[in-house]
Amino acid sequence: MILSASGISNSSNSLPDPSVTEDSYRKCLKMGVANILSEVGFDSTTPLALETLCELFQSFLGELGRSSRAYTELACRAHPLHADVLLALIEMGVPTEGLSAYAFRPGRKSLANPQPAPPIKQTSILHTGDRPASSRSKARQAGGDFLPELPDSHAFVRTPTHKQPVTDYVGVREKAASQKRDVERALTRFIAKTGQTHSLFSTNDTNLFPLISPERLMPDQPLLPAYINALLFKDQVFEEDEREFQPKKKKEDDPLDDSDDDDPPPPVPTTEKMKSSDPIDSDSDEEVKVEPPPSAAVVPVQESPVKRNRREHDGVIENPFLKPVRMPRTTATPVKRAL
Amino acid sequence: MASNSQNGRQTNGMMANGGYGSDSTSLPSIAGPPVADLVSQLEDYTPTIPDAVAQHFLSSSGFQTDDPRIVRIMSIAAQKFVADIANDALQHCKMRGAGQTNKKNKDRKYVLTNDDLAQAMSDQGITLKKPPYFM
Repeated sequence: MILSASGISNSSNSLPDPSVTEDSYRKCLKMGVANILSEVGFDSTTPLALETLCELFQSFLGELGRSSRAYTELACRAHPLHADVLLALIEMGVPTEGLSAYAFRPGRKSLANPQPAPPIKQTSILHTGDRPASSRSKARQAGGDFLPELPDSHAFVRTPTHKQPVTDYVGVREKAASQKRDVERALTRFIAKTGQTHSLFSTNDTNLFPLISPERLMPDQPLLPAYINALLFKDQVFEEDEREFQPKKKKEDDPLDDSDDDDPPPPVPTTEKMKSSDPIDSDSDEEVKVEPPPSAAVVPVQESPVKRNRREHDGVIENPFLKPVRMPRTTATPVKRAL
Repeated sequence: MASNSQNGRQTNGMMANGGYGSDSTSLPSIAGPPVADLVSQLEDYTPTIPDAVAQHFLSSSGFQTDDPRIVRIMSIAAQKFVADIANDALQHCKMRGAGQTNKKNKDRKYVLTNDDLAQAMSDQGITLKKPPYFM
């Protein structure tokens, strides 16, 4: 690219471009030095060597310029001449014979003048609000000309778009029940797909009705993955007292029922009564310290064993049809018998 | 520009360094006219380094001119300087690779390393030192 003489003079008169910094010139210089190196015959270079040569070039030019300027001023001139440059070169010890030969060497490359990069295009922001007329007038009305324009209305105007949540009891219960059903179904299918399955039919194709098999490959392998317990739906416990009515772990022996001692005494209905004092005392020894107030009203004796039964059985068996059979009591001393 | 004929390298007054490719016993040649001719030939010349870049570095040290030929002369001088050093470094690189001449047809890829560069510069009188590790 041929550089016109006016180009240089224009650049010296024009205002400096704020986007062009020292680094940009340095980069162009680096490119030029790399060009020189490739001309000499190198295929590649270490970055440190390239930087060193750039620094060398810059220092050389700087010294040459300073020295030429000094010679110009020494001769009481303002504009440097080529003679000043020559003198500076000689003082620096640079041979001048090969300059002409080097300048017109065959196969020389030259780089174009660095062009300023095009300004970065601002990505257009979608304007959804009212554009300039009303917004500007609002800004002008608000404070004055010095204030910036208001942003687009979508930036600060909000409209809630969600529906009100369902709060009626029927809807919530239905939702919870369907959710629970779906989760349980999905979990069983997942475990059936990922684990051992038991087939009800003679064919081994269990895709239709997959059942989770209780068999395990290794004896110590757990039946279910550890995370299942966290995913299953459980009823919420609102009051501690209600835990008395919640299903508990099945105790094998009666003495283990002493764990019930941890529970606080349930609110004893005032209608509860014990038949006789002695069996009552033994009863209270075995069970929770359910000590009804001595002034409790009389209650049929069957109530205590009923309560015991409720506490005794495991939480799994909630269905009354699955409970173990209770033989009706015929005698009046049921306490010692019901074990 | 008179100088001692015995020692061509004596530096009294201004003297062209004739050590580069010229006899030390002969009188140093002053390349005045050729440079003047060169300057006149540089009207349409484009050096390797862009003129704007050279102009910037020159002006940062106080050298201000409107004549582009002067800038080009100085740019060419600097380029020649660097090219000479690079050439020396290439010779060093080739000498280094000459020990294994048969390998890969004499090392087709020449890589400029700091060691070659340091050696080439020391021949010119410039010492290059690099710390062996980063602090």
